[in-house]
Amino acid sequence: MIPAIQATGLVKSFGDHQRALDEVSLHVESGQVLVVMGPSGSGKSTLIRTFNGLESLDEGRLEVLGIPLDADHDERQIRRIRKRVGMVFQQFNLFPHLSILDNITLAPIRVQRRPRKEAEGRAIDLLTQMGIAEQAGKYPGQLSGGQQQRVAIARALALQPEIMLFDEPTSALDPERVKEVLDAMRSLANNGMTMVVVTHEISFAREVADRVLFMDEGKVVETSSPDEFFANAREERSRRFLNQMM
Amino acid sequence: MQSGPSPFKRLKRHLLATPLDGLMSVLLLALVGWVATTTLHWLFVDADWQVVSQNLPLYAFGSYPPHQRWRPCLWIALLIGLTLLTLLGPRRGWIRKALPLVWIAMVPCGVVLLAGGLGLLPIPSHAWGGLTLTLLLTACSGALALPLGILLALGRQTSLIVIQRSCSVYIDVMRAVPLIAVLFFGQLLIPLFLPMHLEVNRVLRAVLAFALFAAAYIAEDVRGGLQAIPRTQREAAAVLGLSPKQIIQLVVLPQALRTALPALTNQAVGLLQNTSLMAILGLVELLGISRSLLANPDFIGRYLEVYVWLAGVYWLVCTAMALLARHLEHQLSPTRFATSKR
Ligand SMILES: Nc1ncnc2c1ncn2[C@@H]1O[C@H](COP(=O)(O)OP(=O)(O)O)[C@@H](O)[C@H]1O
Ligand SMILES: [Mg+2]
Repeated sequence: MIPAIQATGLVKSFGDHQRALDEVSLHVESGQVLVVMGPSGSGKSTLIRTFNGLESLDEGRLEVLGIPLDADHDERQIRRIRKRVGMVFQQFNLFPHLSILDNITLAPIRVQRRPRKEAEGRAIDLLTQMGIAEQAGKYPGQLSGGQQQRVAIARALALQPEIMLFDEPTSALDPERVKEVLDAMRSLANNGMTMVVVTHEISFAREVADRVLFMDEGKVVETSSPDEFFANAREERSRRFLNQMM
Repeated sequence: MQSGPSPFKRLKRHLLATPLDGLMSVLLLALVGWVATTTLHWLFVDADWQVVSQNLPLYAFGSYPPHQRWRPCLWIALLIGLTLLTLLGPRRGWIRKALPLVWIAMVPCGVVLLAGGLGLLPIPSHAWGGLTLTLLLTACSGALALPLGILLALGRQTSLIVIQRSCSVYIDVMRAVPLIAVLFFGQLLIPLFLPMHLEVNRVLRAVLAFALFAAAYIAEDVRGGLQAIPRTQREAAAVLGLSPKQIIQLVVLPQALRTALPALTNQAVGLLQNTSLMAILGLVELLGISRSLLANPDFIGRYLEVYVWLAGVYWLVCTAMALLARHLEHQLSPTRFATSKR
């Protein structure tokens, strides 16, 4: 079976700075959840953004769902991948001029060319699944952060993606709002979604992750099972990071 | 303003706090009173309003043939009706949804009604005039300038260096040249660019030159709106698989135009006022018709009456436009753009 994501020796630098990604290799099997951890500025966002072509690569080989996404950065390949990979951002990035329902149905109608009725029906189902069906007619500015982030998840799911990418989805939320978003992600993982999640939520990682990847200064420091990583990290740098977190 | 001192006491405190304040207040009040009485006296006693009252059809339609005047009349009535419907009509439902399209349709509708064709008797453009011509000039040049300005603003943002540079140069040049020069150039240059047999009438030439000029200013306003949109909005749209064109059309422009709306309103009002410059080109729009009336021996020296009347008409139309714009802003904003709570 084709791995969901297969990356070998990814290199990326911005200008003449130190490399944001330095020879990163990893792979994610279909149905697995990979949690990416690491200090701020270690390259987590850059890494996850290469998986749907938001960042181009300088070197290395990357295949997402069997589609190559190498340094040549072919626009058509990227759009093929984006239709099959969903992404959720730290700042939600909902479209403020569209209602919640329109936020979710925009891509199904415009990209997948589904009939409006069908797209709206599915959007309501997703909102119900996220526990916010009653918000469908409102606008993003009227919702709390936790609600907005659940809408963002529903918006990504509306395209029926095979992989979901999350970049610190709970970091911009009030503490009491974090749980509702993590719960939604947990049930997604339990239903077999392939996920790559950048997060600092240790209990979530421990419970949901199949593997934890720890990054520092653009390099992969270690990749372990969550039990091993949190109880007994192999590398000194990982242990220092975890000590600060807990 | 709850339960403060009585209005009279407040007035006293504001106007008569110290003897000097008191003196100033009295002098100012006297001045205001004197100006007001003089003005009222002129308006109702000295002024001879015949120059206005005898020529109302001219102000409205210019020298449009009398038996065809129902056409400009109908157009203006439609505009007034539409304005009232927009401002006072239902807040929801299909009427509200159809309004933008109806407004756009008013532009070709006005052209056909005035020029003729489609079964209507053709009326040459030199017979168009007065308020009708002013409104038609504003509507047509606005309708051309807005899309052109949006394209220029977008062109200025592309990564295609040739397009980007040409748009920048165009915008900068147009903004550096006075409108009146553009209008004169338009009269002389536009015929050179068109095939010989295609005789472009003066009104069309004026509209084209005017639209080309206004587009540069509109482009700058739209650019302001575009810059206000965070890069993350484009990313969020791209990640959903939308094409670059769809991202602009569905995500970027609706937000940018909303942000630019107050500035665009100013442009629209400015557009209406600047049509008066076309009197210099010999078009008999509101100002032009007034000037030709003042040249008539019957009304010699009635400058003040005519210009006060003109000011009133412009003020009325501009106020209606401002009200419409505020209404539109309100429609597009209320809860939707409430700042996101976190
Ligand atoms: N668009 C960019 N331009 C310049 N430098 C960037 C850009 N994006 C990220 N970087 C740099 O790359 C490094 C990794 O950043 P990032 O991937 O955002 O880290 P993380 O998500 O782990 O906090 C940082 O040093 C950051 O300053
Ligand atoms: Mg980050």
